[in-house]
Amino acid sequence: MSSAGTLHGDAAARDPHTPLPTLDRPDDYLHAQSTLRSWFLTTDHKRIALLYLASITAFFVIGAVAAGFVRLALVVPDGAIMTNDTYNKAFTIHGVVMVWFFLIPSIPATFGNFLIPLMIGAKDLAFPKLNLTSWYIFMTGALFTLVAVVLGGVDTGWTFYAPLSTAFSNTWVLPALIGVTIVGFSSILTGLNFVVTIHTMRAPGMTWFRLPIFVWTHYATSLIFLLATPVITLALILLIAERAFHVGVFDPAYGGDPVLFQHLFWFYSHPAVYIMVLPGMGVISEIVPAFAQKKLFGYRFVAYAAIGLASVTFFVWGHHMFVNGQSDLASLAFSALSFAVAVPSAVKVYNWTATIHKGSLRLDTPMLYAMGYIGLFVLGGLTGLYLATLAINQHIHATYFVVAHFHYIMVGGTVLAFLGGLHFWWPKITGRMYSEPWGRISALFIFIGFNVTFFPQFILGYLGMPRRYATYPPEFQLLNVLSSAGSTILAAGYLFPMVYLVYSLWFGRRASANPWDAKGLEWETASPPPPHNFAGVPQVPKVPYDYPIQAPETGSHHT
Amino acid sequence: MKAQSALALWPPAASATAVETDHIILGFTVLTLLLTVPVFLAITYFALRYRQGEQADRSTDERRSFLIEISWMLIPYVLTLFFFGWGAKLFIASRHPPPDAMVVEAVGRQWMWKFQHPTGQSEINDLHLPVDQPVRIRITSQDVIHALYLPALRLQIAALPDRTTEIWFKADRTGTYRLYCSEYCGTDHSVMDGNLTLMTQAEYQEWLTHGGAQQSNLAAGRVIYEAYGCAGCHDGAVAGVKAPSLVGLYGRPVHLADGRTLTADADYIRAKILNPNENRLAGDGEGEGGGQGGGKGSGKGGYKQVMPSFRGVIPADDLDRLVGYLKAYDRVAEGAPR
Amino acid sequence: MSADVTGANPAADPVGVTRAEHFATVGQQRHAATLGMWAWLLTELLLFAGLFLTALILRLLHPEAVQAAAGHLKFWIGATNTVVLLCSSLTMSAAIELSRLGWQRMMVGCLLATASLGALFLMLKGYEYYADYEEHMMPFLARRPYALAEQPATRLFVNLYYVATALHALHLFTGIAILLGITWKASRPGFLQRHQNWIEVYGLYWHFIDLIWIIAFPVLYVVNR
Repeated sequence: MSSAGTLHGDAAARDPHTPLPTLDRPDDYLHAQSTLRSWFLTTDHKRIALLYLASITAFFVIGAVAAGFVRLALVVPDGAIMTNDTYNKAFTIHGVVMVWFFLIPSIPATFGNFLIPLMIGAKDLAFPKLNLTSWYIFMTGALFTLVAVVLGGVDTGWTFYAPLSTAFSNTWVLPALIGVTIVGFSSILTGLNFVVTIHTMRAPGMTWFRLPIFVWTHYATSLIFLLATPVITLALILLIAERAFHVGVFDPAYGGDPVLFQHLFWFYSHPAVYIMVLPGMGVISEIVPAFAQKKLFGYRFVAYAAIGLASVTFFVWGHHMFVNGQSDLASLAFSALSFAVAVPSAVKVYNWTATIHKGSLRLDTPMLYAMGYIGLFVLGGLTGLYLATLAINQHIHATYFVVAHFHYIMVGGTVLAFLGGLHFWWPKITGRMYSEPWGRISALFIFIGFNVTFFPQFILGYLGMPRRYATYPPEFQLLNVLSSAGSTILAAGYLFPMVYLVYSLWFGRRASANPWDAKGLEWETASPPPPHNFAGVPQVPKVPYDYPIQAPETGSHHT
Repeated sequence: MKAQSALALWPPAASATAVETDHIILGFTVLTLLLTVPVFLAITYFALRYRQGEQADRSTDERRSFLIEISWMLIPYVLTLFFFGWGAKLFIASRHPPPDAMVVEAVGRQWMWKFQHPTGQSEINDLHLPVDQPVRIRITSQDVIHALYLPALRLQIAALPDRTTEIWFKADRTGTYRLYCSEYCGTDHSVMDGNLTLMTQAEYQEWLTHGGAQQSNLAAGRVIYEAYGCAGCHDGAVAGVKAPSLVGLYGRPVHLADGRTLTADADYIRAKILNPNENRLAGDGEGEGGGQGGGKGSGKGGYKQVMPSFRGVIPADDLDRLVGYLKAYDRVAEGAPR
Repeated sequence: MSADVTGANPAADPVGVTRAEHFATVGQQRHAATLGMWAWLLTELLLFAGLFLTALILRLLHPEAVQAAAGHLKFWIGATNTVVLLCSSLTMSAAIELSRLGWQRMMVGCLLATASLGALFLMLKGYEYYADYEEHMMPFLARRPYALAEQPATRLFVNLYYVATALHALHLFTGIAILLGITWKASRPGFLQRHQNWIEVYGLYWHFIDLIWIIAFPVLYVVNR
């Protein structure tokens, strides 16, 4: 591999491999069969990943349009553009669709599905039929909820807090809840499939500490799917029973407790943040070494940090309830535990930075997204510590500061990682190269647009603008207009890839098996891979991230 | 009212606790910058310095990496823990009111705040309080979860339907500041706001004794008119429900079903709110259960009597405000203040 | 990876597993199936754990109301049902042992016995619900008067009892349906040569349903007596 000395430039110009002639090889997973049935009844994890990719892209568009409406309404302070009710329904569509139908399945269901078997050298996931079933369950639930929130309208926000959702809202809450409950089963089954696959399907020689970090983070994510999702399922079942039959668990009139719902909800939904974040960290941990041509710094620490994050995240849910009448002792404990999340997060960020140090860097689109991700994730993470600080939380809880904070994590983190991963593995998935200049331009648009949209919201929050406000005092208008203006740049940044990536499907240059000179088993097979992934049993290298420039393997005496 | 510029960059602080909260956040921001700026600079520098094709020393050091890992795990963490301690101290202090604090009872409902002063006066959505006096706000909700947010004091606390929560503060700067509901509570969440007016002790006593609360009664009455759902039917805001308009009702003659004619005075309006099935109105005899065609309704055909009784639902002081508002409804009818 | 222990030559061995295409070895396939079922049961356990925890918290918050409401539960039907499910677990275990020996006909008999005991449980449960209905112990029915209406907190416990037992009954019903499907397939010749592990993996699920009832019975019926 003599790529370290090549000048930067077009991806193919430095490609040392001859692209394999795709036309003569119609038996890759995309072309092996072409009937509609072969797509909708496929059990190939790669095709199922594409089914997910298409569905979540559609959901992303719906959620983004709703966000556009929200930002449009907030251009004026007095609610002249939209009634309060319409605004509330718009932000509920945005939250419900983005969280439950885009962010949670985003990276695991697409790249996780596509790559885990490839990365561990397996022919498929352990339960291919279950994998397809998961997609159908996902679509059924999504359809239920989409009909409810888009056609019917729901005004509870994505958090469905009782008793607003159980007794007071007159909107289509019930079908929305049923849909979200159904989607939970899809998450559980996907997580189950990943856990079993990673445990049992690794190729000979693929030991745990030879797994790419992407697989580690998906393992951690799957554990959260398995352990946290049933709790939200229960909470939603109780909420459904409460709304339909007045069971009383969350109703103070019968001795129930509305805050109990918040506990059950956040016991899932805080770990759900790591369902969204951990896979993104996995993507970044693949991109950074590939574009630095250097071994990932501190591999074991980064792997353990994934498990650490997945564990500590189960013990911090109470930080959503500091001002909700929780006992002081509980608040102190949850605050302290929340600070501990900083440790594994810092491990990741510093190790990525150290990987770049003395590497041989190419600033192609995936790397631009990865660098953007690091910056935004750091800001999002540290502002999370502001929120975990009890006295500060008393001020900025439920304000735009929170909105800005979690968008830095969800959009700056998950969406950037998703797009980075999409560009990184696009040649592998489709066998085509996208337009590199357009890729860089839209990465820049997204980075700038994102910051213009969401940075003003930190200030708005600290000034005291509460979230979910259809109208607001006039002194907040300038920052809101700035934020709305930024969202148009962001929207353009999202539109470009949809166009040039689709264009590349037919007109892009053919990709070689390994256009980035990356390491990892997925690059050992053809692009796109054959239906059963590998021609024979893949040879597992002795060390993960076997790049030309080697950093020390830290914290261990192994090599 | 407030002189608010279109762009404020720092919120006013009206208590020592608020100032200290600002210190915590400023200190935390300094620490954040210390932790992040080097990383951002390093990433940018490395990206340029070690770009592919650049001549650079790429030899790696095999030693010390364990130490590096441990130090960047623990040093930032320990530094941030300082702010955990500081924030916790301030938070705990805000939970334990001094014994001499004056107690204000607050109630949230969709979509209004009601504050009751220790001397008995109450006000809607606005809150007048003295400075240099510890104030304890005991708060509850009549329906969904709300939260009272006082940005100038850097405080908020949830209003829960099943219990009372509380918060205390000692303001030290007079002025008018915003107060909000910060827990999403349904359609009009964003208009469940008002003003927090902090005044000197003398001004506060003056305000209490000279019925300062009266000044905002019309606005308060309007809030109640909406919060108890009157507007939904009588102003036609809810589709499919038709109820007589109450504009200009006060002082007009009302024809009843039994042939009598009454003048719609305060007592009539009050009785009608508490017991809508009494004094059935004329002009809509066919409606089952009688009809209600007060004011100009009589010419319009029938209104089905579907209004629930508000006896035991609306407290006396709120009823006074509501009646007061209806008395003046012809004057404030269109473009009514919130 | 565990060694390829069985099924190397299905014709020679009356008991075995046919390897699916995407697995490297039969051992891997067995391992995956077992681990998958355990993972599923783990999530199920968490689902029910949340419910039982809520029930116990209720008991702490409103002890009198919970006792008053629990007094209406049909203890002896619950106890009989516990015995019925324990017996069904016994027949399920027998079916697993017989499947390992390759005694297919007797195994099918045991599976049928297991399904019948499950159905008996559901019938008893149904009768219990009917008796509750007659006693006006269904507070979630908006139109029907509720026997303990003067104690609002009892409603909460009774409703939670229905959520918990209905969720368990749903699992049992699904379990019986799947079991009958498997039994039908298992009555064909050569089943144990191809799919012996189905019986093993399914047995885990059946024992789990039993286990949930064994937790539910004391939490709902016994503790509050």
